[in-house]
Amino acid sequence: MNERKTIDLEQGWDFMQKGITKLKNILEGLPEPQFSSEDYMMLYTTIYNMCTQKPPHDYSQQLYDKYRESFEEYITSTVLPSLREKHDEFMLRELVRRWSNHKVMVRWLSRFFHYLDRYFIARRSLPPLNEVGLACFRDLVYQEVNGKVRDAVISLIDQEREGEQIDRALLKNVLDIFVEIGMGQMEYYENDFEASMLNDTAAYYSRKASNWILEDSCPDYMLKAEECLKREKDRVSHYLHSSSEPKLLEKVQNELLSVYATQLLEKEHSGCHALLRDDKVDDLSRMYRLFSKIPKGLDPVSSMFKQHVTAEGTTLVKQAEDAASTKKAEKRDVVGLQEQVFVRKVIELHDKYLAYVNDCFMNHTLFHKALKEAFEIFCNKGVAGSSSAELLATFCDNILKKGGSEKLSDEAIEDTLEKVVKLLAYISDKDLFAEFYRKKLARRLLFDKSANDEHERSILTKLKQQCGGQFTSKMEGMVTDLTLAKENQSHFEEYLNNNPNVSPGIDLTVTVLTTGFWPSYKSFDLNLPAEMVKCVEVFREFYQTKTKHRKLTWIYSLGTCNINGKFEPKTMELIVTTYQASALLLFNLSDRLSYQEIMTQLNLSDDDVVRLLHSLSCAKYKILLKEPNTKTISPTDYFEFNSKFTDKMRRIKIPLPPVDEKKKVIEDVDKDRRYAIDASIVRIMKSRKVLGYQQLVMECVEQLGRMFKPDVKAIKKRIEDLITRDYLERDKENPNLFRYLA
Amino acid sequence: MNKLGRGHRDKVQQFMTITGASEKVALQSLKASDWHLDGAFDVFYSQPHPKSFTDTKHLEEMYNRYKGKLTINHPYADMIMADGISTLCNDLQVDPQDIVMLVVSWHMKAATMCEFTKQEFVGGLQSLGIDSLEKFRERIPFMRSELKDDQKFKEIYIFAFGWAKEKGQKSLALDTAIGMWQLLFEEKEWPLVDHWCQFLQARHNKAISRDTWSQLLEFARSVDPTLANYDAEGAWPYLIDEFVEYLIENGIIEKGRVM
Repeated sequence: MNERKTIDLEQGWDFMQKGITKLKNILEGLPEPQFSSEDYMMLYTTIYNMCTQKPPHDYSQQLYDKYRESFEEYITSTVLPSLREKHDEFMLRELVRRWSNHKVMVRWLSRFFHYLDRYFIARRSLPPLNEVGLACFRDLVYQEVNGKVRDAVISLIDQEREGEQIDRALLKNVLDIFVEIGMGQMEYYENDFEASMLNDTAAYYSRKASNWILEDSCPDYMLKAEECLKREKDRVSHYLHSSSEPKLLEKVQNELLSVYATQLLEKEHSGCHALLRDDKVDDLSRMYRLFSKIPKGLDPVSSMFKQHVTAEGTTLVKQAEDAASTKKAEKRDVVGLQEQVFVRKVIELHDKYLAYVNDCFMNHTLFHKALKEAFEIFCNKGVAGSSSAELLATFCDNILKKGGSEKLSDEAIEDTLEKVVKLLAYISDKDLFAEFYRKKLARRLLFDKSANDEHERSILTKLKQQCGGQFTSKMEGMVTDLTLAKENQSHFEEYLNNNPNVSPGIDLTVTVLTTGFWPSYKSFDLNLPAEMVKCVEVFREFYQTKTKHRKLTWIYSLGTCNINGKFEPKTMELIVTTYQASALLLFNLSDRLSYQEIMTQLNLSDDDVVRLLHSLSCAKYKILLKEPNTKTISPTDYFEFNSKFTDKMRRIKIPLPPVDEKKKVIEDVDKDRRYAIDASIVRIMKSRKVLGYQQLVMECVEQLGRMFKPDVKAIKKRIEDLITRDYLERDKENPNLFRYLA
Repeated sequence: MNKLGRGHRDKVQQFMTITGASEKVALQSLKASDWHLDGAFDVFYSQPHPKSFTDTKHLEEMYNRYKGKLTINHPYADMIMADGISTLCNDLQVDPQDIVMLVVSWHMKAATMCEFTKQEFVGGLQSLGIDSLEKFRERIPFMRSELKDDQKFKEIYIFAFGWAKEKGQKSLALDTAIGMWQLLFEEKEWPLVDHWCQFLQARHNKAISRDTWSQLLEFARSVDPTLANYDAEGAWPYLIDEFVEYLIENGIIEKGRVM
């Protein structure tokens, strides 16, 4: 390349000036041919040359200054005047046009001067051309008009809120200027526009809410609020910067919801209570959606939900209570049906509100907790002297036994059992339930009253899942025992077939049970008739061939017998208990016996004798004649076989009403609790050695809470008992402190 | 004593019986004379003992005066029994029911009510520096005054439980307990003592555990008789909690006010 001719500043800038004027003309829309690549190359080359000449002819600094001056000159002479003469929307349009032109100008000019960027600016760490160009607009135009622009924009937004159509694209473009002018920083948008917009929004909705809260019902208000929030969200997506969304929604939620939360939720005829009462699930869902967004917004909703469910449940308790008290005057047999209905209703109530929690309240833990607490309150009340633990156990029994009052399909039974087990979670006396359940299970199993083995096993699985293996281990043992007993019986029959010389004389079925799994029963009380004594001997011999180290204990009170009664009209088969049979067989040897004689010969207690003689002489079937012929048994009575007795059936069952076991169950549970508390205290103290009273009680309650809610007084008594038994001592200095004595 | 061989143990016993010295002194003297009894006596009598000014011979005589007669009913009664105690009270001009007899028993570390073994009696009087009835009588007012001392009262109160209960029992029969409380709190002036005893008879009617016994003193000392500072959540034995409930139920105490 040849030696280049030096260009002086004047000359070079003249050339540049021409190019710049051409660019301005194009921007102003004046007729002017587009830049050709040749034009562009020439301009670029001029700059290149002027910057690469040897000092003092290196004009980089001058050109850098002139670059900025060109913008300043254009803005002051053309842009600002045109903006100043326009207002409102027109001003906004003009600003948008000017900004977009300015960006074009920056792009082109910075290309012409590009060589400056590459060396001069880079070496001196000066602001790059692009930035200089944009900064000119910011300093001269934006700083002057941003206040006016902001007001115009906010006023347009308010117009849109009132339902007017506005040019969203224009707003989008204007707000983009606020963002772009920051060149990567959001502070211009945030300080010059967003802050005022948020304030205006708050004021706007504060005005609206203060009217709506007075005029509208709670559902209407919520509809409006939801709609407003939706529209504000739209607004953000259409023209606000996305970073504004959380701030904007927060403002709106605060004005519409937080400020009026209490007033809204407690509206007398349409508030949360009314919605729950009228089952307005849609409105409740909306309430959840709205209030889940504000801080602590759900607390009052869930607490009202809890109150409502508690009230509904308490009403059910009261209904059942009333029904039971009117029933009492009538027959005793029907008592129980009411409680059955009660449990059914509680299950329905639970279904209903669990659905609310799942659907309306989106499974939120706060509502699960409210539901749980509400059910815990009324589920532990009990009805008409029966604890809820007993009611649930009876309810299960009714479903699981043959001929119970509920007629259900298999699926319905499964479903109901599932729900009963769920309710059990709310019962604090789970141990009491277990004891009642075991009593009833024992009756079902031993008297062949269980309707379906699968259901028995299925509820045990469910209980096991919910309450743990320890809870059901005995019950499972009982069910297994019965299966084993059936096998054992067939072995026994085989044994009798193989040994014709041993014969019990009568058909005998024995159910061998494992002590410990089953509730405790009285044993070995009855003087067995000779016929039966032989049976017992034969079975014992058989059992010894099978096992050596097991002891058989006979529980006659659970036995049943089929005996033939040779009455004068016809012979009949009587199905009776072993007790009843033993009493009747006494009359094979004597015609007439006194109460005392019967009692001595049978070796039973007064209670038992009265009960069984009543069933044989005062109830439906009078197998024995009583002297005097009254309705109750007295120790001075005499009895005689009623040989004239007959009935249209050939086979009759003479029921012996079971003893009321409720008191015993409760006592048993109470005793077990004492052991449980002792064990828990010793466990805690063994690991802690020294512990304050309050904390000991607290830990004890916590440990035992899964099974029952121990009474603090009971714990105190156990602590004192343990002190007496030298497991613990009170600290000499501080009587609130206990020490473990190893 | 238990660590000693049989021969040594017998010597200690013999030494103590003759000199009336304490076990500790007996051991010291015997060890000093290499377990020769005669030598030990020399050691013992040649040294000035702080307690030896009580004339053991007199004590022995006193003991013999009160000790039970060997009868068919009490073949092994080498101790002072109820009869002896009542004679003693007579000599001291003190009512046997007087609380000061409890203080005497406390000084003698008596294991059981209405009984003093020889060791308890002689040892107790020695430690009190008494060797004559005269001196004994003079000390009675002092012992009575000891009840006014809070710390001593507490010791005596705690001592009373073990002293009053039946041998082999863990707890104190209710009647005895009530008697003791009435006696003790007459001294300590606890305004609720009658209510407490009435409450026990009406609601409890069972023996009293050691814990309840000792906590009651604590209760009487620290809880205001109007119950103003009673904490229902505290660790008071349940019987005391129930007593408070009883007081409120029966309108004896109402909101920090004695009715």
